[in-house]
Amino acid sequence: MAVPKRKMSRSNTRHRRSQWKAKLPQIQRRTVNGRTTWVVAHRAHVVEDSQGTALFREYNGRQVGDA
Amino acid sequence: MPTPTKGARLGGSPSHQRAILANLATALFEHGRITTTETKARRLRPVAERLITKAKRGDLHARRQVASTIRDKEIVHVLFTEIGPRYENRNGGYTRIVKIGPRKGDNAPMAVIELVEPLAEQVIQEATSATRRAAADVTAAEETVDVDVTDETADVTEDTADVADSDADTAEEATDASDETADAAEAEPEGKA
Repeated sequence: MAVPKRKMSRSNTRHRRSQWKAKLPQIQRRTVNGRTTWVVAHRAHVVEDSQGTALFREYNGRQVGDA
Repeated sequence: MPTPTKGARLGGSPSHQRAILANLATALFEHGRITTTETKARRLRPVAERLITKAKRGDLHARRQVASTIRDKEIVHVLFTEIGPRYENRNGGYTRIVKIGPRKGDNAPMAVIELVEPLAEQVIQEATSATRRAAADVTAAEETVDVDVTDETADVTEDTADVADSDADTAEEATDASDETADAAEAEPEGKA
């Protein structure tokens, strides 16, 4: 098993941890029947009816299986 | 020629990878569309398309080569009689991969791989399900309207019953009468509304 040779300083630990940041998701606004939805690029999205029930997946105007 | 795949074999060993890809290809030709991980879909694509090219050739040698991958004779038959002829005018690109996002459980990126020109059964199935959903939408809208109407009528009948009770009480007890007639007066506007 690999074992650390040296003690990791508090400074190094804290510098490493401070570099961990959240990234904004790359999503696009899309308006369907007057309602705004957000979609991820290059990915099929779920089409819903007026009651909010999931109907099917769609990509590029083409149906891609059930939700 | 497709780019050679990078990285480790699917499943760990070459034989396991061959088995996985053969099973995926069999499932794809059986159902026309399968959901799997993005990695497997990408590995499956060249395998499946090569099998379809062999199916288009259609001779005995091609059939034996396909049968060495797809062990199910029924699927081989479907591939040679239905799927192969469908792609007569298409030179490659028989499958389509659509990403559908991460899987619940292990967050693996999933994809749908499907034959470009769908099977006849699949088209019918989707059309019927779509019409059923449309019908369900219409009935759901009607139902919500119906429920509202019945609720209102029920409220009205309850209110009128309260009024009748309080009238009966006034005849018996004079002291409570004033309170209850007041209640009845309150109930009436609700009944009208």
